[in-house]
Amino acid sequence: MAPRRLTPLRGALVLVVALVAQIAIVADLRVVGAVGDLMLLVTVAAALTGGPDRGVTYGFFAGLAFDLVLDSPFGLSALTYAVVGYGVGLVCGGLFRPTGWWPLAVAAVAALLATAFYTGVGHLIGIPYPWEDLPAITAAVALWNAALVLPVMAVMRWVHGPTEPDRLEVVLR
Amino acid sequence: MAISPPTGSRTRVAVLVLASVTLLTVGLRDAPVVREVREGASAVIDPVEGAVDRVTAPVRNAWHGVTDYDDIQRENDELRAQAEAGAAAGVQTSDAERQLAELSASLDLPWAGNVETATARVVSGPRSNFSHAIEIDKGTDDGIAVGMPVVTGGGLVGRVSHATGGSSMVELLTDPEFRVGVRLSTTGDLGTARGQGRDDPLSVDSAISPGAKVPEETGVVSSGVDRSAYPPGIPVGTVASSRQGSGGLALDLDVDPLVDVDQLSYVTVMLWTDGG
Repeated sequence: MAPRRLTPLRGALVLVVALVAQIAIVADLRVVGAVGDLMLLVTVAAALTGGPDRGVTYGFFAGLAFDLVLDSPFGLSALTYAVVGYGVGLVCGGLFRPTGWWPLAVAAVAALLATAFYTGVGHLIGIPYPWEDLPAITAAVALWNAALVLPVMAVMRWVHGPTEPDRLEVVLR
Repeated sequence: MAISPPTGSRTRVAVLVLASVTLLTVGLRDAPVVREVREGASAVIDPVEGAVDRVTAPVRNAWHGVTDYDDIQRENDELRAQAEAGAAAGVQTSDAERQLAELSASLDLPWAGNVETATARVVSGPRSNFSHAIEIDKGTDDGIAVGMPVVTGGGLVGRVSHATGGSSMVELLTDPEFRVGVRLSTTGDLGTARGQGRDDPLSVDSAISPGAKVPEETGVVSSGVDRSAYPPGIPVGTVASSRQGSGGLALDLDVDPLVDVDQLSYVTVMLWTDGG
């Protein structure tokens, strides 16, 4: 198990590496006209391995880091990823255990939710992101997420150790 | 079956969502602190990005070779055709250039060369699916300031949205938040063009009577009307189609940008701010 004092450092390292990889590499590799989203991927992997608490925390800080280097509304990525991280953690922690190929499906669905949420909130605050772009963006992000979610989940287990705190905290009714 | 998280989770998500909404509100008001923090982050991350960019260039080039093969082939064919046509048009062009230079001198048109410029290299494209900005390698050290128009030989590219010492961000004209006052080159009718996203035409809200006919391929240039953020006469695009606007009182136009913002290597910043 990773020493607890190293966990925040490792978590921050993962976010920084993901951010640099996103803007220097992934942003240039278009699939069906859109690019992948490593910050969302880290959020989903954190939620899948650690539940809603970890999902919302990673989502917020991943989004905040991404917002720092984008020209889009500051805080919108943080809000989107926090909500998606929490939702993924809650559903996967409470309803079923995402094993086998399930994480790939969850990561792909999370791409749709995040893209739709971002676009919707954009409209609410007066930025008309085209809804027509949604399928292409979702497809690209879903492909990247599905392809990389298992290795990134392994990275999250390296960061936090093989614990499942949130799964134990979730109450089934 | 219903699920409910523990109280601690609810508190955490409430705090973080509230923090996000607060940041969003502050950011939308264009608070100086947000701008400064972003500039600071940019100063830290840019050198790292540049280094990783150089190291990973072969991988990205290989990717583009695979995914963009058809586009590259088509561009090669087009360039070959243009080169052949260019030789024949050379004589005409030189005469047209001489006439344009004389006209510009007499009319003092900034687009035609009275504005100082700085040529910059594009160092990175949009960083996310919702970003419509590129980064260039010139900044305030080269006289660049926020709001300056960015062009290529083809026409308008966008405007400088952030500038630090050695680099700047350029908001592309495809950004849904982008606005530019325009006029039709044939009739002089005015309108406002706004971006509609990547691969989509600009939408122009005009004051043209709905009964009027606007031919396709009509040129559209920046209007440069009083207090405009852009000097007059910068080529923006050509009319692709026209339709009745909402309310039926005027025409809305779809305008194809002249510049392909996905294929930019170098751009020119016009060292011009509102009011010249």
